[in-house]
Amino acid sequence: MTTGTPTLVRSPQVGTIDLAEARDRELVVGIRHGDEEAFRGLFSRYAPSAKAIALRVVRQSHLAEEIVQEAFLALWRNPDGYDQQRGSVKSWLMGMVHHRAVDLVRREESQRRRAERTASQIVEIESDHADEVVDQIGLPEERRRVRAALDELPQEQRAVIEMMYFDGKSQSQIAEATGLPLGTVKSRTLLGMRRLRVTLIGVES
Amino acid sequence: MNRAHALIEELLAIRALGGLDVDDDALLVREMAGHGDCEECRRFAADYGETAGRLAFALDPLPVAEGEADAVLRRAAEAGHPSATAAHTALADAPARRRSRPGRTWQALGAAAAVVVLVVAAIALLGPPRSTDVQATTSQTVVHFTGTGGELAMAYEPGRPGALLLGSGFDDPGPDQVYEIWMIQDETPISGGCVSPHDGSIVAFVDADVSGADLMAVTVEATSCPAQPTTAPFLTAPLTA
Repeated sequence: MTTGTPTLVRSPQVGTIDLAEARDRELVVGIRHGDEEAFRGLFSRYAPSAKAIALRVVRQSHLAEEIVQEAFLALWRNPDGYDQQRGSVKSWLMGMVHHRAVDLVRREESQRRRAERTASQIVEIESDHADEVVDQIGLPEERRRVRAALDELPQEQRAVIEMMYFDGKSQSQIAEATGLPLGTVKSRTLLGMRRLRVTLIGVES
Repeated sequence: MNRAHALIEELLAIRALGGLDVDDDALLVREMAGHGDCEECRRFAADYGETAGRLAFALDPLPVAEGEADAVLRRAAEAGHPSATAAHTALADAPARRRSRPGRTWQALGAAAAVVVLVVAAIALLGPPRSTDVQATTSQTVVHFTGTGGELAMAYEPGRPGALLLGSGFDDPGPDQVYEIWMIQDETPISGGCVSPHDGSIVAFVDADVSGADLMAVTVEATSCPAQPTTAPFLTAPLTA
C-alpha cells in the first residue's frame, strides 16, 4: 500500500493545497506499480459516488454496478490513462463512469424506458443508506459545495445541466422535452457551465 | 475570444456533460481541425471535463458491496484480455462484438496486405504542442465511422495532409493494447498511428493525406503498433472522392 505522507499539491485552478487530491494521485502512482491496496483505497473512496452517478443515469442497479466495475477495471489495467495535467483524479474517474453510463443509455434507450418505473423505486430505496456512507468516506463537504454551486445557478441553466448530466439527455432530447429552441438549450448550458467552472474549480471566463 | 473559440467552448461544455448530438460532434471536429494545435481548446476541454466530473458528487453516494474492489481485481487477473471479460458482461458486449464481427475481416475488405507502406504518421492526444497543416476551409470533409463500441468522426481536407479524429464512448482497449487507425488504399492497409482513449474519448491527429484512401478503419492492436493489422476492424468509414 502507498502509505507515505501525501505530497502537497497546489491546484492551479483554485490556488489551494488539496490534500485529498494529493492522496488520490499517490494512490494512482501505487496502482501504476501494481499496488492492490492503493487500488482498494481509491475504490473505497470513489466507488460509492461512481455508483450513484451511474445509477442516476442508467436507472438500473445491475447496470450501474457493472459500469462501476468496468471503470475501475479500466483504471487498474491502464492507470497511465490518468493525466494530471488534465485535472483531478476524482473528476477523471467520474468522467469515465459518466461516459460509460451515457453511452449505455444512448444505446439502450428503449430498454431504459421500459425499466424507468422500476428504476425510480430502486434509486429511492438505495438512497436511504446514503448518509452513513457519506460519513464513512468523508466527502460531505464536496457534496455540499457542488449542491450549493448548482443551487446558485439560475433555474433555467440548472435545469438543462441536470437533465444533460444526471439524466443522460442529449441537447436535442432536452429541446424536445422542454419545447425550447436547441440554441437556447446550448446557450443555457454554456452559461451554466461557465458559472460552475468558476464556483467549482475557480477558473474565471 | 473569437467566435470560433466561443463555438468550440460551447460544444466542449456540452460534450463534457455528455449531451452533444452527433451533428454537433462533427461540427466540433471541424472547428478543432481548423484550429490545429490549440492551447485554448485544450484548456476548455480540461476545465469543462473537470467541472462536469465534480457534479457527480452532488449525489448521495451509494453503498458498494464489501469485497467489490477485490472482485474487480479478480476480473482483471482472470481476464488477461478484455474480450474475455466482455464475454460475460452486458456492458462490454459491444467491444466483444466489434472485435469479432463476421464478414468484416480484412479478407473481406480485400486487404491482402502484401506490401505495407509505412507513412510518417503522428498522433497527438491533446498532448504536447504539435504543429499541423490542417486549416479550416469550406472544402473540408467530415466522415463518420460506423460500427460498435465508440463514436468516431474524422475531418480532413482532400488533397492535403492532416486529419483530425474525434471520438467518444471508447473502452480501454486492454493491457498492452491500443487502437490503431488504418487507411485502406488499393486494398492495402496503411497505418495512421496508434492511440489510447482518455476517459473514453479520443482526439487524434493523423499527419498524412487520407484522401487517397478508399476506406478508414480502426482495430485493436498491441502497443507496438504493428505495421499491418492483426485483428478485424470494429469501426470503418468509406471515403468518397
